[in-house]
Amino acid sequence: MRTIVCTLVAIAALLAGYPQAAHGQVRAKAAVTCVSAGQVLEYDCTIKLANARSGEPLSGLTVSVGADMPSMPGMHNVRRVKATEQAEKGAYHVRLELEMHGDWAVHIDLRGAVRDRVVAMLRFEEAEVTDVKPSPSRRGH
Amino acid sequence: MLDLQGIAKHFGGVRAVDGVDLTVKRGEILGLIGPNGSGKSTIVNLVSGLFPLTSGRILFNGDDISDLPSHARVGLGIARTFQNIRLFGQLSVWQNLWVAQNSRLQRQEMFFKRWFGGSAGVQAEIGRTLEFFDLAHKRDELAANLSFGEQRRLEFARAISARPNLLLLDEPAAGMNAEEVDQLDARIRKMRDEGFTVLLIEHHVELVMSVADRIAVLNFGRKIAEGPPAAVQDDAAVREAYLGTR
Amino acid sequence: MDDYLVSVVSNIGIISFVALSAYLLLLTGEISFGQQAFFAIGAYAAGIATAMWGWPLPLAIAWGAAAGAACAVTLGIPTLRLRGLQFAIATLAFAEMVRILFELWRYQIDIDGEPVGPNGTDGFRNIRYVFDHNIEAFDFMMLIYAVLAVTLGSFMLLERSRLGVIFRMIGEDATLASLQGIAVARYKVFAAGIAGALAAVGGGLYAHLTTYVEPRTFDVMLGVHSLAYGLIGGLGTALGPLLGVVIDVGLLESVRLFAGYRMIIFGGLVALLLIVRPRGLLDERLVHGIGRLFRNAKSGTTRTGRGPP
Repeated sequence: MRTIVCTLVAIAALLAGYPQAAHGQVRAKAAVTCVSAGQVLEYDCTIKLANARSGEPLSGLTVSVGADMPSMPGMHNVRRVKATEQAEKGAYHVRLELEMHGDWAVHIDLRGAVRDRVVAMLRFEEAEVTDVKPSPSRRGH
Repeated sequence: MLDLQGIAKHFGGVRAVDGVDLTVKRGEILGLIGPNGSGKSTIVNLVSGLFPLTSGRILFNGDDISDLPSHARVGLGIARTFQNIRLFGQLSVWQNLWVAQNSRLQRQEMFFKRWFGGSAGVQAEIGRTLEFFDLAHKRDELAANLSFGEQRRLEFARAISARPNLLLLDEPAAGMNAEEVDQLDARIRKMRDEGFTVLLIEHHVELVMSVADRIAVLNFGRKIAEGPPAAVQDDAAVREAYLGTR
Repeated sequence: MDDYLVSVVSNIGIISFVALSAYLLLLTGEISFGQQAFFAIGAYAAGIATAMWGWPLPLAIAWGAAAGAACAVTLGIPTLRLRGLQFAIATLAFAEMVRILFELWRYQIDIDGEPVGPNGTDGFRNIRYVFDHNIEAFDFMMLIYAVLAVTLGSFMLLERSRLGVIFRMIGEDATLASLQGIAVARYKVFAAGIAGALAAVGGGLYAHLTTYVEPRTFDVMLGVHSLAYGLIGGLGTALGPLLGVVIDVGLLESVRLFAGYRMIIFGGLVALLLIVRPRGLLDERLVHGIGRLFRNAKSGTTRTGRGPP
């Protein structure tokens, strides 16, 4: 009985001290294009950030970019790199060093006026980088 | 106490046990002997529930236990040892006894003590059992690190810890030297004095003759003789089975 | 701590849950290639709860764990009658089935003008709880480790308890265990349930860490790895699988030299260890030996304590 009461009290305490959701936040969307940077497994990526709702470019943010492989969760950790803001509004540039070719989930973390994470699925190959658009034909891989 | 009624076990075409009737009375030591392959160990396996019966019934204290799973039979108080030693090698000596232990003490325990071994009473009982089998100094050793003789004693101790109503000993003297057999002889006698009922399967005829109250003899899966040790020793069919004379 | 370290350490923590899940089943002598299925169930269930139903995170994780446990028990009742290899294959088949079901499953609702929810092979994006609530990566890492610490503490307690002894007995010799009066099947299903819940907790945390999951994440690769962690780290203690994870995700990962060859090296390492130390680095003997050292040290101090002044 006492244990049940203690557990309930603990849960209540947890819920009370729980961070409340901040509503009306700006959500970001990103268009990512990458090209090989000459070296094997190095890619230059341009990220265009915009407000997901209004489409307005998001500039002046601190942007860092990481990546992992969805097919091996948590096992490839690519060191997060800071992106540099370009002259064009909402455009950022980053150079990624990956561990292998294949499908990567590129995490774009935003800080500053907007705090958000946008994830882009890209297939990195020797010659080119394409968007991953899963289609029924890819099933069963 | 234990009543085997026409039990049979066939493995494919092999009739390992072929219609045996046998009764073990409360408080007695029944010796079960027979040449290699006569079906002795199969009977132990049938009673402890490792194999299903082909036909027949097993009664324990008047209840039919033929279809009970082996863990339920242990719950009724049927414990056994193995011909080839079977221990939990990766557990320590006292842990090997702990789970087998089935005393009233343990049943009365509070949840926490029962599952975390905190009670002094349970530990004291394990200590006493280890003392009896001269294993107290090895209490925290892994069972796999014990010598052969110690492992045999531990297996015996584990069977006793269950406080069984009926103890099945499957060739406890296998691989023992003369001195160890004498010790075993003394232990089995002491257990009878404490009121255990024992079914003793043994190759070592002298040991059986010495401790058993009654003896049953098996050959080719059938019972060929039953009676007090002296009578069985003089039985013509038994001599034939052992010596192969006709 | 820099971002990179936080992300590596967070990943180690999350993978540890799956490793512990596989380890628990290894203790009872079962090899499961399917724990990633419960990781997936936990991830989707917890993700749906926060992103679509607006539940608080702890409740969502608990709900994910319950879903994982329920599925594991449902799977365990028929499959745990199978032995050895057959059980391994059954779990693998189940995990692939779950993955394909998630590839087909679409369940989306409209939130703030955007569709949210599992969307077949596209996966389940926008599990934004951590961002909506302004939880820093470091704080989330601490959350992962708080849950992991509780889990590990429970494992330590389990190892000392009668239940832990029973699990090990079943793992070593199930027949002999049943002859100690242990209802083997019942305990195995119980172990499978806890293992399912553990993997699901890991999945729930993972979904919120990365903010997205997709069926591919729950490939057999994850299951094989989680199994391997226990085998290389050792089956003598719950710290074994954690050591396995640290070796793989921490050590091999940080040596950038291996990069894409890491899986090959990892595979070789597993093969080598299985030959040299079949029950892993921290096996029962080693753990027992260390335990004895401690006991001796303790009795040693009491002896000197009792000595003449």
